[in-house]
Amino acid sequence: MPRIHCSIVPPYLLDRIAGLGDPQLALASRAARHALVELDPVLQNRAEALSAPVRRGGAVVGTLHRRIHDAGTREELPGTLLREEGATATGDLAADEAYEGLGATYALLSEEYGRSSVDGMGKALHATVHYGMNYDNAFWDGEQMVFGDGDGEIFTRFTASLTVISHELTHGFTQYSTNLEYQGQSGALNESLSDVFGVLVEQRLLGEPAETASWLVGKGIFTDQVEGEALRSLKAPGTAFDDDVLGKDPQPATMADYVETSSDNGGVHINSGIPNHAFYLAATALGGPAWEGAGRIWYDAVVSGSVLTDCDFRTFAGTTHDAAVQRFGAGSREAGAVAGAWTRVGVPV
Amino acid sequence: MRIEIARSGGVGGLTRTWTVDVSSAEAEQRWLPLAEAEVPPVPGDERDRFTYRITIGYTEVHLPESRLEEPWRELIDRARAAAVPATPEDPPSSVEPGTAGTDAVRDPGAQA
Repeated sequence: MPRIHCSIVPPYLLDRIAGLGDPQLALASRAARHALVELDPVLQNRAEALSAPVRRGGAVVGTLHRRIHDAGTREELPGTLLREEGATATGDLAADEAYEGLGATYALLSEEYGRSSVDGMGKALHATVHYGMNYDNAFWDGEQMVFGDGDGEIFTRFTASLTVISHELTHGFTQYSTNLEYQGQSGALNESLSDVFGVLVEQRLLGEPAETASWLVGKGIFTDQVEGEALRSLKAPGTAFDDDVLGKDPQPATMADYVETSSDNGGVHINSGIPNHAFYLAATALGGPAWEGAGRIWYDAVVSGSVLTDCDFRTFAGTTHDAAVQRFGAGSREAGAVAGAWTRVGVPV
Repeated sequence: MRIEIARSGGVGGLTRTWTVDVSSAEAEQRWLPLAEAEVPPVPGDERDRFTYRITIGYTEVHLPESRLEEPWRELIDRARAAAVPATPEDPPSSVEPGTAGTDAVRDPGAQA
């Protein structure tokens, strides 16, 4: 009979208790270590990743390892190996775009936030391109990224936009940090984190400050036949496309337009517009490189241990505000910008 | 009998809907028993994958893409292969949030 492990104590707390050196708490510490061992491997990895030493101000060196595979239009993973870390470009456009995109995402986490890969422990980054026939999607399967070539009528290849590659890889980061449940508001936060760090990877690579960045996710993956710029806009949710076949971008920017729906896991790709826009407002209020100010605050919030799997918008907003206060001080312009941004989207902190 | 297939999710979060007409006998003998045998999906670690909702009369089944086995793939392929894009004179009748136009299609092989 399979054992089902239930614990009311979140892994990050167990981990903290397990690491306590106080002899008076030795029993609790031992019990916590025991409980950690009992957790399933994914939870355990996550707990370790959360407590992994964070090196600030410097890159974590030597742990980037990429492997790009070719599914050859079949729907089988991972496919045949096309390019491994350090190898020269293959000439296969999708494979080389994926390789570069994974590198740029890794660089943001490592060089800005001192995190070694998505799990904090140097996890190798695997991707598969040319997945399926006319396949209109890109996804994270729990272990790796997968990219389709598109149908040529609505979508072109999904690696054509760096923000799509970084969006998918950020799902890995989320899995190994907060593991936000993929349903309703926590699911919309999961999606939003992928969009936020997705655009930050591109902005950092291009050296774009918040004021002039496009704030678009998926620019360049629609064919010319589609009336639309991109999949989503953090600057103006709801305006990314308006097309005869695809309909209109359904994203709300504020809680007043929150969409209740049963499809798309409760609208995880729809209501993500609200936290997305809050990030944009905070970033532009602060100005300059968004990955340093607002991005740093959002990252701090994610790894703070206060964002649980069922986190809602209000709790997440409060956690980002706490993170801003922690790093920049109460009454700082950063803390003020974060509070103001959430208030404007209808989630007062 | 008309079977409706709605695909939601994906990195774009775009819902596409296709319909296919099949004979009552085919619906009752082939597709309804399959739909009734499906168990609700268990959430996993996959992100941005598609979810299919297949509606046959009053029966509705939700299938994650990763669990889409061959008989369902055949039905979806039939609906998509024969899909005629909606024309401006014939706009989609209902558009939910995040829902694209409905490409109604009559399967040439079905004589209802």
